[in-house]
Amino acid sequence: MKKKLGINSSSTDKEIKQANFDEVLQEALLSLAPNAPELKQAELIDLVSIDATIELKKFYLKNKDVLNKTAEVALTLSDDIDQVHKGNFPRDIPEDRRRFSDFQLKIYDEQIAKKKIISEFNWPFIFNADSREPEIAGVGASLMGSFFTLIVCLLLSFPLGILAAIYLEEFAPKNKITEIIEVNVNNLAAVPSIVFGLLGLGVFLNYFYLPRSTPLVGGIVLALMTLPRIIIPCRAALKAVPPSIREGALALGASKVQTVMHNVVPLAMPGTLSGTIIGLSQALGETAPLLLIGMVAFINVVPSTPLDPSAVLPVQVYLWSESAERGFVEKTSATIIILIFFLAIMNSFAIYLRNKFEKKWS
Amino acid sequence: MKNQKIKISTKNLNVFYGAKQALFDVNLELEEKKVTALIGPSGCGKSTYIRCLNRMNDVIDICKVEGSIKIDGQEINKKDVDVNLLREKVGMVFQKPNPFPKSIYDNIAYGPRIHGLADNKNDLDQIVESSLKKAALWDEVKDRLNQPGTGLSGGQQQRLCIARTISINPEVILMDEPCSALDPIATAKIEELIDELKKTYTIVIVTHSMSQAARVSQNTGFFHLGKILEFNLTEKIFKNPDNKLTQDYITGRFG
Amino acid sequence: MSEHIVSSYEGQLKTLHSTVLKMGALCESQFSNSIIALLKKDEELIDKIIGKDERIDELEKKIDDQVVNLITLRQPMAIDLRETVSAMRIAAELERIGDLAKNIVKRVKYIKVDLNNADFSLIKTASELVQNNLKKTLDSYSKKDEQLALSVWNSDKEIDVIINKLLEDFLNNMKKEKKNIESLTHLLFVAKNIERIGDHSTNICEYVYFLIKGEEIKGNRPKG
Repeated sequence: MKKKLGINSSSTDKEIKQANFDEVLQEALLSLAPNAPELKQAELIDLVSIDATIELKKFYLKNKDVLNKTAEVALTLSDDIDQVHKGNFPRDIPEDRRRFSDFQLKIYDEQIAKKKIISEFNWPFIFNADSREPEIAGVGASLMGSFFTLIVCLLLSFPLGILAAIYLEEFAPKNKITEIIEVNVNNLAAVPSIVFGLLGLGVFLNYFYLPRSTPLVGGIVLALMTLPRIIIPCRAALKAVPPSIREGALALGASKVQTVMHNVVPLAMPGTLSGTIIGLSQALGETAPLLLIGMVAFINVVPSTPLDPSAVLPVQVYLWSESAERGFVEKTSATIIILIFFLAIMNSFAIYLRNKFEKKWS
Repeated sequence: MKNQKIKISTKNLNVFYGAKQALFDVNLELEEKKVTALIGPSGCGKSTYIRCLNRMNDVIDICKVEGSIKIDGQEINKKDVDVNLLREKVGMVFQKPNPFPKSIYDNIAYGPRIHGLADNKNDLDQIVESSLKKAALWDEVKDRLNQPGTGLSGGQQQRLCIARTISINPEVILMDEPCSALDPIATAKIEELIDELKKTYTIVIVTHSMSQAARVSQNTGFFHLGKILEFNLTEKIFKNPDNKLTQDYITGRFG
Repeated sequence: MSEHIVSSYEGQLKTLHSTVLKMGALCESQFSNSIIALLKKDEELIDKIIGKDERIDELEKKIDDQVVNLITLRQPMAIDLRETVSAMRIAAELERIGDLAKNIVKRVKYIKVDLNNADFSLIKTASELVQNNLKKTLDSYSKKDEQLALSVWNSDKEIDVIINKLLEDFLNNMKKEKKNIESLTHLLFVAKNIERIGDHSTNICEYVYFLIKGEEIKGNRPKG
């Protein structure tokens, strides 16, 4: 790095971020083929990802002691070379039909020989938001989006679902109205999920003017879908609690509410949690209703609150699977793996909770 | 028998399950601090009767209870009676032991907690200990109060339920076939317990076992098809009952 | 009365009842034969009577066993309990009656006077009364007739009156004819035995009454 960046060892991080690392990068790249003609110089720059400058900056922020010295920095390759490295792009077709030139190929081969090209685990994939460039695109945004959406869904559907089930099973009088409610709850579980998306669009977005494409609305829509899936198993679990428990509590002078909340509900928890796990897992994988409420946008900033626009993992899969760039193919599969991993963690936690309840109460 | 204090008295007690009448004009006076046994063939109304005494029949929608039920002279079969307070005074032990799915300690502590009978943890500990002692269970469980109540044997579970009933200081204990699900040793322990408990509480026990009724009770009532056919000292009923049907029942000439 | 649902229980009670009746019949015949042997001084009959007493003891033991068995296995209540307990008590009384009849005939060889003489007619009267009472007692047990039992219970005093008269007569006779002292002394014992057989019958009546009514006969036994 021979050019002056205009910073010294006591510069603040802000000053460093504002410094111009582009020239430093270009200089470094051009040194790979010092005698390259000008036309080809642009191709050299194209070898690395758009984010390369930022990567350089980040490296310096972490290693300020390399000022005025020489250091080796790892930079991400551009997606086309990345695909060459992975063997997905054929090298033996005519140059004008390739997305990379012979010159780039030559430099690539040279660097391979010098062992300067390495593959490492793609951590940025998990933390980065989406991008037009496949090499730096990540699931960070959709991960957070899914997380927030699920939290909202859980916070809405779980308490409401349980309380509704308790009311319907233990307190509601056995009349026509209750029957109608029961039938409707059962039917709701069979409603196609996209209908909930329409509901979200029509009511929450167009009537209440809630922010579109946010986990808030996504969570509300999914909560509506998950509600019957929690109510039905919770009711079944409540029904399965033997009447002797209720009689025992009542005979001690406990009120109906005390009997139900202190004695019956804890026993119904394992069954309820099973239903909740299934309901939430389905919610996690839902795509159609969320598409309708706009969670299909291109999100290039990782959301930090449920009110920020975001995508969810299944939608991300859908988006990337539709992309033209070859680099998104592996990313789609990787996202699916992450989705399944996320599901597995969620399920394990819920099963752990359920087992804890079972042990405690029996 | 007339010289004794009457704890519970029912007059013209009629109970209906929908259109079907289960009890017909039952007039009974149950003495304080005595054990009264109610015997009779299945479906004759004994359980229905005792469930009236702590208003447990309220739980059944189609059940209608008409007539007077007085405890210590106070009418309890009317709308403005606080049922939860009534049940604090009149406890019940069921046929199948039904400990809560909680620890032994919490099983006993539940009643006092919801009725606010203990001011602090010490008080609660004392109540739990004394209830378990009165139920002859303390020595067997004092080292494992935190273990679930459902982990005890059948006989211990039933004594746990009795301890739970005692923990809220009732005056009457109703027992609906408390030993049906227990082995003979466990049954004997419960009968011994009943002998002790009658010094403090009025006990009404429904039983299918003639010999149990003869062993534990001082007064016995014979129910048949919803009516009380005979009610007298246990000795009289089992030595020389007045009513032929009573005799036929207790000797096994009809069931 | 309707029958036990468990027929073997019913069978056991019936067997007990009939065993008691069998023992009663045997005692009845032992007693009436003892009077015949006394009056006729029939030695063969005497031997037969003494021999048969063993059978009575066997029956008592049998009844005891049946009673213990019933209590152990059936835990009888109310009337069944009274039946069981009464059978045991009645068998004990019957065994005593059997023994007394045997003791009567054992004394026959020591009685040298002619009992068909008018002086000794009271013996005959007394023994006929007692025989009659014993028969009625056993009938009252067989038929569960408490009024019959009660009537026998009340009439015991008549026997006492006769026996007392008998004793008076014998004492007077002994004072008059010193040669009869030995015979009359034995006759005294015989008379006492007859009276005691009457007493035992009356005891049985009390048990029969309790069996049927479930309570004791009220009042004291009328004494002559």
